[in-house]
Amino acid sequence: MTDKTTNEKQKSTRKGVSRRRFLLILGGGVGALAVGAVAAGPTLVREGRLAMNTLFLTGDAPGTAPPKAPFVWFQIDADNTAHLYIPKIEMGQGIHTALAQVAADELDLAWETVRVHQGDAERGFDPALIFTFGSTSVTALYQPIREVAAALREMLRSEAAAQLNVAAERLVPVGSAFMVREEGGDNLLEPPITYGQVVAAKQGEWKTPETTSRLKTSAEFRYIGRSIERVDLRDKVTGRAVYGFDARVDGMKYGAVARPPRYGATLKRAAAGTAGSLPGVIAVVIRDGFAGVVAETRAKAHAALAALELEWEGGTNISQAEIEAMVSIPAQGGTLIQRVGDVEANGGGTRVEAAYRVPMASHAQLEPQAALAEVDGDSVTITTSTQSPEITRDRVAAALGIDAAKVRVVPAYIGGAFGRKTGIDVGAEAAILAKGAGVPVHVGWTREEDMMYGYKRPPAVNSLWASLDADGRVTAIHHELASADILLNPDIGAPILGRILGTDPLAAGGSLILYDFPNRRVVYHHTPIPVPTAYWRGLGSFPNTFAIETFMDELAAAAGTDPLDFRLRYKPEGALGDRFERVLNAVAEASGWRRTPTDGRARGLAAIYDRGTVCALVVEASVENGQIRVHRAWCAVDPGLVINPDGAANQVQGSIIMGLSSTLKERFTVENGMAAAQNFNAYPLLTLAEAPTIEVIAINSGDEPVGGLGEPVVGLVPAAVSSAIFALTGERLRELPFTLA
Amino acid sequence: MQLTINNQDYEVAADPDDMLLWVIRDTLGLTGTKYGCGAGICGSCTIHLDGEAVRSCITKVSAAEGVAITTIEGLAMLSDDGEEVLHPVQQAFVETQTPQCSWCMSGQMMTAAAFLASNPQPTDEEIDAAMNNNYCRCGCYARIRTAVARAAEIAQEGAA
Repeated sequence: MTDKTTNEKQKSTRKGVSRRRFLLILGGGVGALAVGAVAAGPTLVREGRLAMNTLFLTGDAPGTAPPKAPFVWFQIDADNTAHLYIPKIEMGQGIHTALAQVAADELDLAWETVRVHQGDAERGFDPALIFTFGSTSVTALYQPIREVAAALREMLRSEAAAQLNVAAERLVPVGSAFMVREEGGDNLLEPPITYGQVVAAKQGEWKTPETTSRLKTSAEFRYIGRSIERVDLRDKVTGRAVYGFDARVDGMKYGAVARPPRYGATLKRAAAGTAGSLPGVIAVVIRDGFAGVVAETRAKAHAALAALELEWEGGTNISQAEIEAMVSIPAQGGTLIQRVGDVEANGGGTRVEAAYRVPMASHAQLEPQAALAEVDGDSVTITTSTQSPEITRDRVAAALGIDAAKVRVVPAYIGGAFGRKTGIDVGAEAAILAKGAGVPVHVGWTREEDMMYGYKRPPAVNSLWASLDADGRVTAIHHELASADILLNPDIGAPILGRILGTDPLAAGGSLILYDFPNRRVVYHHTPIPVPTAYWRGLGSFPNTFAIETFMDELAAAAGTDPLDFRLRYKPEGALGDRFERVLNAVAEASGWRRTPTDGRARGLAAIYDRGTVCALVVEASVENGQIRVHRAWCAVDPGLVINPDGAANQVQGSIIMGLSSTLKERFTVENGMAAAQNFNAYPLLTLAEAPTIEVIAINSGDEPVGGLGEPVVGLVPAAVSSAIFALTGERLRELPFTLA
Repeated sequence: MQLTINNQDYEVAADPDDMLLWVIRDTLGLTGTKYGCGAGICGSCTIHLDGEAVRSCITKVSAAEGVAITTIEGLAMLSDDGEEVLHPVQQAFVETQTPQCSWCMSGQMMTAAAFLASNPQPTDEEIDAAMNNNYCRCGCYARIRTAVARAAEIAQEGAA
């Protein structure tokens, strides 16, 4: 979705820039979730919705207009240090390292001169660009960062040439420096001139090049494609890295906020009661719909909440059974989101059908929501773990009734997000308390608060049927799904979109049938529930991949075909099909798919195209003492060009573990309108001893990155495990988490 | 009361019943020790008391008086010329590129350091058992296994 054609160049006009530094701000196009595509009006009929949903679900929607703010900020000091400000937030995915590799490669930096920093609004970055989501960071920024870096390299080269009085063509970049090639020969003449020297000696204004500078070919890459050590790990293993929960400032106090007893309940009346006179309490802050306490310690703040006099009204007392009844597929209706051929006319023959269910899940990111707010007059600074500084800024501005320009958001390291750190915002809570108490306030949610009041992975149900002819060929496939909301969640998303599309496009992600069956149909049912649900790693691709890929295994069994051969037979058309074939063959080779597994074990396979990436997973499982045990996993991924192979492997390994935790353990339930589980004692996660060994095969299928890696793999896991257990025992597992009969 | 953390003495005003985690993090500002669950389940808050791994979120500060407390900030050493020298566990976690978000990793490394001190040449099964009570939501388990085994090697090489 990257718009590569609309680069525009801007000159820095910022104040306070030392002449000993070198600054360049260049804009360019960036892909984003294309809400802007929804301009056709609210009365689209079925055909229009079908087209629109296809755009969203295949990622072909047009990009938004290019922002004026920079994509990347370079600062080269006279001592030759290259500071690199990266406009994406590091939450463990290695994005600071990967994007620094891209930038350093094209700028020809010596790696040891590179210092990576979090980009924020202080350097002009648009908070919307910093939104880190959807496995999009590399694909969106790869090309623009290279173009900026190449322009900078050429500016340095022509300036160095002027300073040395030689032709620019004779200057060869040698890593944060140029050397002069001897006239008429190949030898490089000592001494090199460093970028820092060029910058320090520069007189007058820099001129940005009028034309796009030549970019390196893949054969010239120095850093791209290498497993370079993560830039954030030294600070992380020594405990120095600062996350939102670690943010501190002199004189800060601790806040706690009253929470409703039921989802959807609002505060009708609140009074301080005796809270204000409790030891350590500094302030009780009560305003419309909000009550909180600021105290000397977190424990005292939380203890004082019990002394508040609160009256809640409204909300839900829904039960788990009622939720499951709501999220179900009705006999008719729904929005058609894929139509290939004619399913009805070809729906005869042998019918195979199955339904699958995915429960709610907690993100259980180990750092709960946290923010520090410092109010200074009518301005506020928020230091927080957020995926979206823009949403935090807007929430804080709305909470304090001030202009968004008065809110500065400092994105800290994120201690796990998986979709959880955007939307419902602790920054606004800290801001209200800081303003009310007149001191800087840190609010860090407890685990209980995070588990009970964080939004959840939406529950989903998928139902599929297919027709096989007498030769075992699939003639038609029908997929129907119902999901609670993600993007349509009124508190965090864009509900208007649902009225136009008739779907939640994020919940519908991954629901289209890409296999080359002649007749295909997918229908979406919008089934919101009164429990907050939203982004969770993989979005709709998690339940939809579980359902489609397990059903593929069921179809292969019905057709009497090996599941690998079955997928190869129906691989998607064209280049995508070639990519499917490559990852399937790679994972089959690595896992020894054609060979019989060890006694008592069986293998299962699943494949996906998601976020531009094609992946195939094989797991090897057994049943021990009535429990499913996954011993080994092999995953082949093709995201196009891989920037950092070890980082890519880490994302895949992590996705497999998180997917396996959902497959075997996690089920978030609601009783009486509130979370049944409050902490890990009632919501256990997968542990180390339960983790398989994992082999990742990263396939470099091209000269540029075309897909993300943070999410596509997670939904493969339940499908592969279900298929392995079927191969082992003949039992089909269709509801997460799996329990054996 | 007086606490000794990473060989440094601190005079802190705390209630005896306050949890050690919050005294370390909030009162003293040593934020390398992380909060994950407050219930002693996830292991993010693991520190050493006299070399033993304990969960600081369920340990009262009064239990740490007169005891040598070590946090992640005290795991690395300073060389004679003032350079920071990572503990073998920290070296191994970097070498194997194990952490992702790393919120759990202070606790993972403190757990591993105490374990390896008592069992310098563990089997794979012993590593699994020792590290099984620390959650990692990013899913770095396979690498944690490798990293702990590698840390044992590094420590052996250093001792040799």
